[in-house]
Amino acid sequence: MKKIKAYLPWIVYFVFFLGLLVVNPGTHYIHLVSRVIIFGLYAVAFNLLYGTTGLVSFGHALFYGVGAYITGMLVKATSPEFFVLYILLGAVGAAFVSFFIGLLTLRLTGIYFTMLTLAFAQLVWGLTFKLYNFTGGDDGIQAIAKPEILSGGVTKYYLFSFAVVTICIYVLWRIRRSPFGAVLNSIRQNPQRITFLGLNVYKNQLKAFVISAFFAGAAGGLYAGLDGSIHPDMLHWPTSGNAILMATIGGMGTFFGPIVGAGILTGLEEIVGKYTEYWSFCIGVVVLIVVLLFPNGVLGIKKIGGSKNNEEKETEVVCNSGD
Amino acid sequence: MSAILEIKNLDKHFGGIHVTNHVNIAFKKGEMSAIIGPNGAGKTTFFNLITGFIPSDEGTVTYEDRDITRARPENIVKLGIVRAFQVASVFLEESVYDNIYLAALSHFRKNAKVFINRMAFKDAREHTEFILNKIGLFDCRDLKASELSHGDMKVLDIAIALTLQPKILLLDEPTAGMAPDERIRMMGLLKELHEFFQLTTIFIEHDMDMVFGIAEIIRVLVQGQLIAEGPPDYIRNHETVIEAYLGKEVL
Ligand SMILES: Nc1ncnc2c1ncn2[C@@H]1O[C@H](COP(=O)(O)OP(=O)(O)OP(=O)(O)O)[C@@H](O)[C@H]1O
Ligand SMILES: [Mg+2]
Repeated sequence: MKKIKAYLPWIVYFVFFLGLLVVNPGTHYIHLVSRVIIFGLYAVAFNLLYGTTGLVSFGHALFYGVGAYITGMLVKATSPEFFVLYILLGAVGAAFVSFFIGLLTLRLTGIYFTMLTLAFAQLVWGLTFKLYNFTGGDDGIQAIAKPEILSGGVTKYYLFSFAVVTICIYVLWRIRRSPFGAVLNSIRQNPQRITFLGLNVYKNQLKAFVISAFFAGAAGGLYAGLDGSIHPDMLHWPTSGNAILMATIGGMGTFFGPIVGAGILTGLEEIVGKYTEYWSFCIGVVVLIVVLLFPNGVLGIKKIGGSKNNEEKETEVVCNSGD
Repeated sequence: MSAILEIKNLDKHFGGIHVTNHVNIAFKKGEMSAIIGPNGAGKTTFFNLITGFIPSDEGTVTYEDRDITRARPENIVKLGIVRAFQVASVFLEESVYDNIYLAALSHFRKNAKVFINRMAFKDAREHTEFILNKIGLFDCRDLKASELSHGDMKVLDIAIALTLQPKILLLDEPTAGMAPDERIRMMGLLKELHEFFQLTTIFIEHDMDMVFGIAEIIRVLVQGQLIAEGPPDYIRNHETVIEAYLGKEVL
C-alpha cells in the first residue's frame, strides 16, 4: 500500500504526458505541453534547493540560461549532429558556473543569499548584450537546428523532451529519497542540528546548488531545441521568479508539485494571454489565492487538509521515556 | 587520573562582557560532572566554545591530547564530543524515528550516499531501534517531533546525541522547563545512560536535586569565572558558592 502510494505520482505522470499523444490535441497543444515538461524539469530542479534545502535562490534563470546558450551556441558553431551531447554540455556548463557562484553566495544566509544570487544572474543577463558576437545580444540566437531524427513535426521533439526530462526527474527523485536528500531536507529545518550531527552544512548546500543548476541547465538546453531560438529573457529575473512561482503554486514540500505548478503557470499564460496583455497581473492574483488558500501549494493540500494534525498538536502525547 | 578533556586559560568576551574568564578545567574520563551558576554566568557559552560553535579569544581546548581549539564544530562531533541543547534542537517535521535515523546515517558515514534509498541501511536501522528502545521513545517512534511533549522533545534531543555514540556528552539543562516527575525520570535516565555507554557526561543544570543527586564533581561558574570545583559535599558547604549562587536554598 505504501509502495503504491509512493509510485502513484509516477503513474499519473506517465498517463498524463503519454496519454496526450493518444488524445493528440494538435501541434499547438503538444508544443504547449512540451513547454510544461521542460519548465517542469526546471522547477523540480530548482525545488531541490528551495523546497528541500530551504535556499531561496532568485538567480536560477542564470543556470537555465547558461544551459540554453551553451547548447545554442555550440549548435551554431558546429553542426546540429551532436545536439544531444550539447544539451549535456550545457548542463555541465551550468553546473560549473554554479559551483563558483555557490561558493560565494552560500556564505550568506536568508535575504542576502537571495539578493546575491539575483545580482549574479542579472550580471550575466547584462553580459549577453555586451557579448553580441556570441550571444546575438537583444535578438538572441535564432534558427538553432536539430539533428534529423528530432526535426520535422512537434511530436518527435515532444517525445525526446519527455524522455530526457523523465530521466532527469527520476535521478532527482532518487536523490531526494537518498540519505543525501534527507540531509538536505533537514538542513532546511535545523541547520544547527546538522552541524552537531557532524555534518558540514555549507558543503551539502553547495552540492545541492550544483546538482540543481545542472538540471536547470539541461532544461534550458532542451528549450533551445524546442523553438530553435533563445533570447536574453531566459536569463532575466522573471525567469528566476517563475521557478519560485511554479514551486510555490504546485507545492514546494512535494516532489511533483513544481511540475503541476509549471502546468498551471503555462496554462494561465496561454488562456489569459488570449484576452489581455496583463496576464502577469492575473498570475499574481492566482498566486495570491493559492498562497492564501493552500499555503502548501496545490499538491500540498492534503497535508494541511484535516484539522486532525492541529488537534493532535494541542494534546501532546507523552511517551514512556526512560524505562 | 588522565583528563579526557582539558581546558586551559579559556577566555571569551562579548563586547564589554567577560563571559568566559580564564577558565581552567580538566575533565576526567568516565566522570559525571555538573556545571552550575546563575543565569547569564556563561555556562552555555562555555559549551559553545568547547564544541567550536563560537571561537574563543584565548586559551586552548585539548581532547585526548589533541588540540581542538580551532577545529570546526562538525569535526569535533566526529571526534566524539556531542551535545544536546538548552532548547531542544530536533527536526520538527520529521518523525521521532527519522530524527534518530538521520543521526544514525551520519554515525555510519552513510549521509553522502546520493543514489540509494535512505532506508536501505541495515546497520543504521538496527542502531536506530536500539537507541529508541534504550531511551524509551520506541512507542512514539512514528510521532512527528513537533507533536512531542516538551520533556520528550528534550529526550529526543539527547537521543540524537547518543546515536552518534559520543565519548563526551554535553547536556545543556536536560530538565529545563520540565515538571517534577519528568525531572526525576530524566535523572534516572541520564545516570543509566552514562553508565551503559561509559560516557564522560558534563551537564549544565539549575535543578539542585539533580545536580547533587547524580554529579560526582560540581563546578560553579559565576560571571564567567570558575569559583569552585569539587564533590557535592564540598560544594554544598562552600562559603563563596552559597553566597554567590546557592543562597538559602541549600539543602
Ligand atoms: N552570541 C552572543 N553574543 C553576544 N552575547 C552573548 C552571546 N551568547 C551569550 N551572550 C551573553 O553572554 C552571557 C552569558 O550567556 P550564556 O548563555 O552563556 O549564559 P548561561 O550561563 O547559559 O545562562 P542561562 O542559565 O540563562 O542559560 C549573557 O549575558 C548573554 O547575554
Ligand atoms: Mg544557558
